[in-house]
Amino acid sequence: MPNPTLEEAYNKICELLVPYNPKKRAIEMNSGIMSDLEVDSTAVFDIIMGLEDHYDISIPMEMVSDIKTVGELSAAIVQLTSEG
Amino acid sequence: MSIFDKYAPLQMRVDMMMKIGQDALGLRFDDIINATRGRIEGREILLAGTNNYLGLTFDEDCMAAAQKAVTDHGTGTTGSRVANGSYAEHIELEAALAEHLGMPSCIVFTTGYQTNLSAISGLAGDKDVIFMDADAHACIIDGTRLTGASTIRFRHNSPEDLDKRLRRQGEIEGGHALVVIEGLYSMFGDVAPIDEFVEVTHNHGGYLFIDEAHSYGVFGETGCGLAEQQGVLDKVDFISGTFSKSLASVGGFCASRHPEFELLRKVMRPYMFTASATPANICAARAAVEKVKTGGHLRDNLKLRGAQLHKGLTEMGYDLCAEAGPVIAVRRPNEAVAAMEWNWLIENGVYVNLAVPPGTPQSSSLLRISLSAAHNEADINIILKAFSDLKDKQGELMAGMAAKMQAAQ
Repeated sequence: MPNPTLEEAYNKICELLVPYNPKKRAIEMNSGIMSDLEVDSTAVFDIIMGLEDHYDISIPMEMVSDIKTVGELSAAIVQLTSEG
Repeated sequence: MSIFDKYAPLQMRVDMMMKIGQDALGLRFDDIINATRGRIEGREILLAGTNNYLGLTFDEDCMAAAQKAVTDHGTGTTGSRVANGSYAEHIELEAALAEHLGMPSCIVFTTGYQTNLSAISGLAGDKDVIFMDADAHACIIDGTRLTGASTIRFRHNSPEDLDKRLRRQGEIEGGHALVVIEGLYSMFGDVAPIDEFVEVTHNHGGYLFIDEAHSYGVFGETGCGLAEQQGVLDKVDFISGTFSKSLASVGGFCASRHPEFELLRKVMRPYMFTASATPANICAARAAVEKVKTGGHLRDNLKLRGAQLHKGLTEMGYDLCAEAGPVIAVRRPNEAVAAMEWNWLIENGVYVNLAVPPGTPQSSSLLRISLSAAHNEADINIILKAFSDLKDKQGELMAGMAAKMQAAQ
C-alpha cells in the first residue's frame, strides 16, 4: 500500500470513528478525539489498533497519549508510514 | 473557571445516575454479615459481587490468624520493607507462595494494584517493549506508564494477533519483549489461552507475565490458577495475584521462575516507597494459602454454582459475555438501563456490580456477578429469581425511569 497522505489518513480515521460517534458530530482536523468527540479511552485504543492493522504500523501507547486531535493522529500516521 | 471544570462531563453522568437511584460507585454497606450476606439501610442483601471466590473472609482459621497477628505484632507496620525491614510473616508468606507455585522467587505487596504497578514498572526498561492485552486491567496500564518502554496493545485473547504484532516489531535492539496478559478477565469473565500465549511469546524470545488476580485459587488442581490448569505453570515467567479475592485479605504477590527477580526489591519504586502489608493482612493470606491448596471442594462448588447461574440466565434470554465461570457478566443496552436495573436489584435484595465504560471492554454496560464457593444452590436461585422478576418488570421499570428523569428536569 502506498504511504497515505494526510487527507487519506484523516478519511480512514473518520471511517473508524463512525461506530463511536452515534451523535454524528462533525469530525474536523482540529476536533479533540476525547474532548470534542467524547470517544472514551478504551475506544480510542480500539481505533488505534484498527489503524495499526490497516497501515501495518505500530502506534505505541505513549505516542497516543500525546495525540489530542484527529489532525495530530493523521499526522502521526503519515510520519509512521513514511518511516517504515 | 475552576480546576474541576474538566470533570463537567463526568458530573453529568453522576447526576444522571443519582436521578435514577443511588451512586453505584459509592455504595455504603451498614455491615458485612458473612461471605454471602451484607446489610444496606437495615435490609439483608445477598452479596453477588464481592470477588470472594472461595468465601474465606469469614473462615475461622483465617480470622484466627489475623487476630493472633494483631495480638503478637500490633496493628500497623509503619513503614516500607526497604526502609523499615520485613516481619518474619512477610518472608514466610513469600516462601509459602513460591513453594505453592513451584517458583524460586516471590515478592508480596501491600495491594493488588500496587503489585502490577511495581512488577511491570520494575521489569520493563527504556529499551524493552511491552505487549499488553487490549482488555488489560488499569493497574497493568498504569504500570506501563511508569516505564520508559514502548507499549503496544494486541487484540484481546488473540495469540495470533500478538504473534503478528511481535513480528511487526521485529528485533528489539538492546531490549526484550514483555507480554502481559490476565488469566480470567474480571469484567466479562472470559479465560485466556495461556498455553498458546506461552508458545507465541517464547517463539519470539519474549517473557510472559500473567495476572492471575481472578484465577489464583479458583482454577488448577491445587488452585495455582489457569496456568496450572492448562499445564504450563512451569513455563510462565511471571505470575502475579492478589490477596483480596480468593486469599480473603488485602495485598498481592508476584512470583517468577527467574531467581534474579529478587533484585527487583531494590528497583520497584511502588514497592520501595510504600508501607508494607499489615501483620493481620499477611497472616490471613498465609492461612488462606493452605485453604487454597486443599480447596478442591470449594472450587468444585464454585464451578457448580457458576454453571447453575449461567444456565438459568441463558434460559431467560439474557446476553452473557462469556462461558460459565465464577464471573458472569450480563450485557445491558446502555448505562442508564444498567444503572436502573442495578438499583432495582439492590432494592430487591441482590448486590451485583454495575460496570460501565471506560472500565469495560467494547464500551459495554454490564450487570456483573461474581460468585463464591460460599454460595449454595438456594442462593443462586435467589439471584435467578431476581433476574427473572427484573425481566418481567421491564416495562414498569422503563416507565419509572422516564418519570424520574422527567421529574428531575
